[in-house]
Amino acid sequence: MSGPLLLLAFVALVTAILVGVRSSRWWLALTVTGAVAGLIASLTVLLGATDWEWRSELTLGGELIHLRLDGVSALFLALLSVVGGTGGVYAREYWSEQHYPASAPRGRAWWSALVLCMGLVLVSSNGLHFLIGWELFTVCAYFLITLDRRRREVRAAGWLYLAASHAGTVCLFAFFSTLAARTGSWELGPMREQAGLAPLFWLALTGFGVKAGVFPLHVWLPSAHASAPSHVSAILSGVAIKMGLYGIVRFSGWLPVPAAAGWVVIGLGATSALLGIAFALAQNDFKRLLAYCSVENVGVILIGVGAALLAEANGDAPWGRLALAGALLHVWNHGAFKALLFFSAGAVLHATGTREMSKLGGLWRTMPWTAGLFALGAVAVSGLPPLNGFVSEWLVYLGLFDAVTGRGPAAWAAMPAAIMLAMTGALAMASFAKAGAMIFLGAPRTKPAAHAHECGPGMRGPMLVLAGLCVLIGLSPVLFWPAVARAVASWRPAWAAAEAPAPLAMLGSVHVVLAVLMVAAAVWLWRKAHANSVRRGLTWDCGYARPTVRMQYTSASFAGIATGWFRWLLQPERTLRRPRGLFPTEAIRLERVPETVLEKLLGPVSVAVMQVSAAARRLQHGRLQSYVVYVVAGLMALGVLVLLGGAP
Amino acid sequence: MMLMLDLILRLVLWLLLAPLLPGVINRVKAWVAGRRGPPVLQLYYDLARLWQKGVVMSTLASPGFVAGPAVAWVALTGAALLMPLGPAGAAFSFRGDVLMLIYLLALARFCTAWAAMETGSAFEGMGAAREVSYAVLAEAAIITAVLSLSVQTGSVSLVSMLAPSAGAGAVLLAAGLFTVLLAENCRVPFDDPNTHLELTMIHEVMVLDHSGPPLAVILHGASMKLLLFAVLLVQAVLPMGDMSPLAATGALAGGVLAVMIGVGLIESLLARLAFRRVPLLLTTAFLLCLFALLVAWKGNRV
Repeated sequence: MSGPLLLLAFVALVTAILVGVRSSRWWLALTVTGAVAGLIASLTVLLGATDWEWRSELTLGGELIHLRLDGVSALFLALLSVVGGTGGVYAREYWSEQHYPASAPRGRAWWSALVLCMGLVLVSSNGLHFLIGWELFTVCAYFLITLDRRRREVRAAGWLYLAASHAGTVCLFAFFSTLAARTGSWELGPMREQAGLAPLFWLALTGFGVKAGVFPLHVWLPSAHASAPSHVSAILSGVAIKMGLYGIVRFSGWLPVPAAAGWVVIGLGATSALLGIAFALAQNDFKRLLAYCSVENVGVILIGVGAALLAEANGDAPWGRLALAGALLHVWNHGAFKALLFFSAGAVLHATGTREMSKLGGLWRTMPWTAGLFALGAVAVSGLPPLNGFVSEWLVYLGLFDAVTGRGPAAWAAMPAAIMLAMTGALAMASFAKAGAMIFLGAPRTKPAAHAHECGPGMRGPMLVLAGLCVLIGLSPVLFWPAVARAVASWRPAWAAAEAPAPLAMLGSVHVVLAVLMVAAAVWLWRKAHANSVRRGLTWDCGYARPTVRMQYTSASFAGIATGWFRWLLQPERTLRRPRGLFPTEAIRLERVPETVLEKLLGPVSVAVMQVSAAARRLQHGRLQSYVVYVVAGLMALGVLVLLGGAP
Repeated sequence: MMLMLDLILRLVLWLLLAPLLPGVINRVKAWVAGRRGPPVLQLYYDLARLWQKGVVMSTLASPGFVAGPAVAWVALTGAALLMPLGPAGAAFSFRGDVLMLIYLLALARFCTAWAAMETGSAFEGMGAAREVSYAVLAEAAIITAVLSLSVQTGSVSLVSMLAPSAGAGAVLLAAGLFTVLLAENCRVPFDDPNTHLELTMIHEVMVLDHSGPPLAVILHGASMKLLLFAVLLVQAVLPMGDMSPLAATGALAGGVLAVMIGVGLIESLLARLAFRRVPLLLTTAFLLCLFALLVAWKGNRV
C-alpha cells in the first residue's frame, strides 16, 4: 500500500514543481495531495508490521535504485508531510503573488522541490543517492531562504547557510565514500556486525551535526531562520534540521558505534540544550529566539539518543528504550510546535513588519487568534503539561532517571544531563514568557504594532491544525506510542515492545482531566469576576497616573538577570550614552548579543586564514624575472640539500 | 466510590488547610516581635472578602489576566493531589509523577508571569523577570534533590520515594529543600511578603494589579504551594514509611508546623538579601542538594 502512495506523492510533487510557477491553486492542490499521500504511506508503515522496500532495475549514477521506508524513516517522513502540507497552505497567503509578484511563483516551485528532495533522502537506501538527495535539498533550502534576495541580510544568511551546509556535506562525502570503500558497495542497511566501521560514526556525527544545528556547529542556523520567509523558517526548523538528526539516528542504528559515542552525544545534547536556550533568552529578534530554541530542542533530542546509545553499550538496558522513544516523539513534537510558533511569528511579521520585540506589544487586541495560538505553542515548547512538549521530555527524563537508579557508569552522564535538562526547561519557560509578553501583552510600543491586523484563514488554518496536533499528542500520548515504538524497534530490534509503558496512559488521562479543569476554572473565574463587577482602569503602576508605553519592561530587561549568568558566553555588545548635565536630553543604552561562536571564534579564525592566504598570494604576481629567481633559488636549495645530505 | 470519597477528602484537606500556614507564620513573627499580630485565620477572612469584591482590570489586560491565575491554581491543585500524604499515599501515583509535579509548578509559574505581564507595568515586569530567572536555579536544586531521593530508594514515583528518610544525606537535603522552599514561596531572605516597596519584591509585585476573585485565587494558590513544599520537605527527611499510620500523620502535621515556625523565625531574625545575592544563596541550595545526591550515591554502595 505504501508503494503506490509514495509514487502518487512523487508524481504530485514533481507536477507541483512544474505547475507551481504558473498556478498557485493547482500547486497547492498537488502539494497537499503529495503531503497527504506521504503521510498515509508513512503511517501505514508506522502502524503496520512490515517495512516497505523497493529494488529497481533502473540505475541512477551507476547504482541500482533501492528505496526503503522503515520505522525510523517513516517517522521523519510523517513529520515532513505534515509540515510540508500545512506550510504550503500557509505560504499561499503569507508569500502571496500580491505581495511578492517576483518571488512567489519561484517560492512555490522550490517549496515542492524541497519537500520532494527531503522525502527522497528519507527513502533512499543507497549512499550515493542519499548524498544526491542531501545536496539537492540543501540547495532547494538555499533558494527558499533567499527568496527575498534584495535584502543584503538575506543574501548573507543564505550564503552562510550554504557554506556551513557544504562544510557538513564534505564530512558526509568522506563518510559515505569510506563506507562504500570498506563494504564494497554503496548499499545502505543494517551492518552492525562489522565492528571496523565504528570510527566512521564521528564523521557522520560531524556532518549531520552541522545540519542539525548542534552547538557549536549551529552558526548558520540563527541568521538563516531569522531571515528566511516564515514558512521556510518553519520547515527549516521543523524538518530540515531534523534531517541531520535523522542521519545521526539512522546511522547509529545501522552501523556499529564507538564506545564513547553515547557519552559524546549526550554531552553534546546537554550542552546544546542549555547554551542554545541561553542564547534564545538573550535575543530581541523573535525569529532568532525561535531559531536558538531549535538548537535547544535538538539538544533535548540528542540527550535521548545519547542515553539510548549508552543503554545499548550497557547491555541493552531497558531505560534506553524510554529515552529513545522520548527523543523520537520530541522530533514530532518539536516539528509541530516550532512550526506553529514560526507560523504565528510570520503572522506578526506580516502584520507589523518588524521582528524586534522591543517594537511590538499589545498585539492580542488586534490579533487574538495569533496571540492565543502563540501562547499554546509557548506552553508546549516550554515542556509544560498538559501539552505535547511535556510528554516527550517526561519520557527522556524517565530514561535518565532509570539510568541513575540503575547505578551503572551511565548514571554519571545521566545525572548531569537531567539537571541540565531541568535548567533548560526553566530557561525555555523564561524565554517564551518573555516572547509572548513582549509581542502580545501590554501596550503597543510603536505605531505599526498598534495598527496590526489578524491574519486570514489561509494562515490561521495551518496554525490551528498544528495546535490541534500539539493538544492531541499531549492529551492522548498512547495514541502515538505505537508509531514511536515502531521506530524504536527498527532502530534496535531488541527493543521491540507492543505495549506502551503503563504510566503513559495514566499521564494522558491526568492531562485530559487537567486540561478540562483548567478551561473550566478559567471560564468560571471569568464569570465570577464579571458577576461581581469588573471595572476597567489604568494600569496601577504604584499610583503613577500617566504611565507611557516606554515605561514597560523591555525584552532585554526581562532577560537581564538570567543572561547575566551567561555573560561569559553571550559576550553582549553595549552602546551606552549616559545622561549628562543638569537637564539631560538624551541617553542611550543599546545591547546586542552576537552569535558568539561565529563572530568571536570563527570570524577571527577565518580572517587570519584570509590574511595568511593574502600574504602567500603576494608571491604570485606574474613577473617573469622573479619566477626565474624562484626557480633558481629552488634548484640551488635542492643542490645544497643533495650535497649536504650525502648518503641516499 | 471509595476513590471519589478519598479524592474529595484530600481536596478538602488541601484546600482548607493551606491558608492556615501563612497565619501560623504571622503568629510566630508577631510572637517574636512581641506584638499581638493578626489572627491565625486572617487569610481565610481575606479570601472570603476578596471573593465577594469587584475586579479592577487594567485597560490593557486580555482575558489571560484572569485565565492565568485560574490555570495556575488548577496546576497547583493537581500538584497537591500528586503529593503523597504520609500513610494515606497519593490520590494519583504513577512512575514519573514527581516530574509531573515539578512541571505543574512550572506551569503555575508561567501562568502567573504571563498574567503579570498583561498589564504592561514596569513593576510587574520586574517581578515576573525575577520569578522566571530565579526559577532556573530553584528547579536545578529541586531536580537534584529528587535525583538524590531517587538514588536512595531506586524509585521514580513519589509514594515510594518519600516513604523512607533521605538517609545519610537527610540534613543536607533538608537544608537545601528548605532554602528552595523559602525562594519558591517568596519568603525572607529572598522576598518580603510584608513589604510595600514594590521595587524589592518578587511575588507580591507580580500580583499588584490583581484584585477581587482572581487575587483570592492567587493567594490561595500561593498558600497551597507553601503547604506542598512543606509536606515535600518533611516527607523527604522523616522516615514516614517506618512509622505506624497514626504516628506518621502526627509526624507529618508536626513537621509542617515546625517548618512554618522555622520560616517565621527566619523571617523575624533575618533581613532580606540584596537581589544580587539571591543567585548565590540559591546556588548554595543547589550545592547542598548535589552533596546530598553524592552522599546518597555513596551511601547505598556499601
